[in-house]
Amino acid sequence: MPAEAVAVPLTVGPGLRTPQTRRAADETSSTPTDRGWAVGQAQSRMNDTELIREAQRGNTAAFEELVRQYDGAVLRLAYHLTRSEQDAQDIYQEAFLKAYRNINNFRFECSFYTWIYRIVTNLCLDLLRKRQVRKEDSGVTTDSEGGSYDLLDQVADVRSGASPERDLMRRELGARIAKALQKLTPRERMVFEMKHYQGLKLRTIGEILNTTEETAKNTLFRGTQKLRAALRDMR
Amino acid sequence: MNCEWVQQNVTLYLYNELADDARHELEQHIARCQNCAAEVAEQREFQAQMNELPVEEPSASFLAAARMLLQESLETAQQHRAWYHRFAFDPTAWLRQVRFSPALASLLFLIGFAGGIGAMYSAMGKGQVPRTVASSPAEASMIGGITSIEKEPGTDKVRVQYDKRLPESVQGSVSDPKVQDLLLYAAKSNENSGVRLNSVDALTSKADDPRVRETLTYALRYDSNPGVRLMALDGLGSFVKDDIRVRNAVLEALLNDSNLGVRSGALHALDPVRADSSVRMALQQLSREDPSEYIRTESKRMLASMPVID
Repeated sequence: MPAEAVAVPLTVGPGLRTPQTRRAADETSSTPTDRGWAVGQAQSRMNDTELIREAQRGNTAAFEELVRQYDGAVLRLAYHLTRSEQDAQDIYQEAFLKAYRNINNFRFECSFYTWIYRIVTNLCLDLLRKRQVRKEDSGVTTDSEGGSYDLLDQVADVRSGASPERDLMRRELGARIAKALQKLTPRERMVFEMKHYQGLKLRTIGEILNTTEETAKNTLFRGTQKLRAALRDMR
Repeated sequence: MNCEWVQQNVTLYLYNELADDARHELEQHIARCQNCAAEVAEQREFQAQMNELPVEEPSASFLAAARMLLQESLETAQQHRAWYHRFAFDPTAWLRQVRFSPALASLLFLIGFAGGIGAMYSAMGKGQVPRTVASSPAEASMIGGITSIEKEPGTDKVRVQYDKRLPESVQGSVSDPKVQDLLLYAAKSNENSGVRLNSVDALTSKADDPRVRETLTYALRYDSNPGVRLMALDGLGSFVKDDIRVRNAVLEALLNDSNLGVRSGALHALDPVRADSSVRMALQQLSREDPSEYIRTESKRMLASMPVID
């Protein structure tokens, strides 16, 4: 891990809000506010370092605090990527268990943020590779348990009040996108997910994937081209 | 800067990943080059289209369920590492969070509840219509099951009869019998633990109804998810005094539940009836031999504060 990684800025989209700040934002639902978030962000590196040191000394409460700071973002990433609650749940469990087991090997060469994302992306990549082997082109794919699920069912309907027709159209478009995403290699899918949907910087993505920013850029470019072609073909 | 460079970097431009000088140059270029401007517009449209697969924050109940499972796994892992402290993610705080989460405002939208409605579909000849059925997930996902296939003799026509599943939603008060039936059904039979958690949560406000209590007791006894069990326990707590079946279920949870959070919740729920002979016996047993120090200490404390009995 490169030493410069220590300075990874934590400016990565709305996802990294801690549960506390997220709740504060939710309470004032009409005008989401990031009250306290900027301050929290500045402090978070220092806090993480302290928390990791404490966790390494065997303080479970410190480890729990680390989990709380990152688990919302982890679950969101895993769920959006896998479109399966069960798989997202499995990745979440395994990621934090791994972090827990290996916390003593954490050498502060990168931020905890990069470290935990590295664990999560590796688990996601494993799952995507397994799925790719089993992939069928019918839109029905399998989760890690081998159970089949339909992509369309995975486009959850949360926008209440929409007309059934509009809703169906939206769900169909969602299913088409999900199908197009399946055309990507696991690595392209991962980079696209982190850039487009999670809003991470390419530099961070490179670090997470143990590669250069340039390689991440090229992967993103390739993935985007493939997706555009796939969506064009489906028109 | 030429067109090829621009086309290669439009993606980075729109994702705000270009250096300021390159960005400026690119903007100058597209102001005078129609082709590249069109490419930018197309890429922008593509990005908007991809957003039709929205990223949603995991619901509070989904997150709570994940944390409960993690707590269990961590406790197991912790025993291997022989750490003294137990993990206590403060389950009640999560429940509070679940309860006040805006996600629950839409609680009563029970989406995807399958009503079986018979539908008829005649498939005409090979290679024409059947393709649309088989390849379109929209249709395939709606098919509940195929009940019969008849071939018309001498032609290439077949008649396929199938049941269609239609998603429906119901909105209303938890007291509404129709809504309550759905909640009772969801609490017992849904495969999604988040849905079970939400239905149990909604039902806790109606725990004075024996039918609801029966479902909550069932959830406390048999639900595989500790978050759901804990939620059910929360709803049943105030009935340990008056409903002997509730008391027994809570006692059973205290003695046998695999999750320490649920067990300590059960312990506290039984506090008002700690003088009851079955509870007292359980407390004595736990204070002596429970593997969890927390349960031992708490049981002792409850026994010590027991009113003197003849």
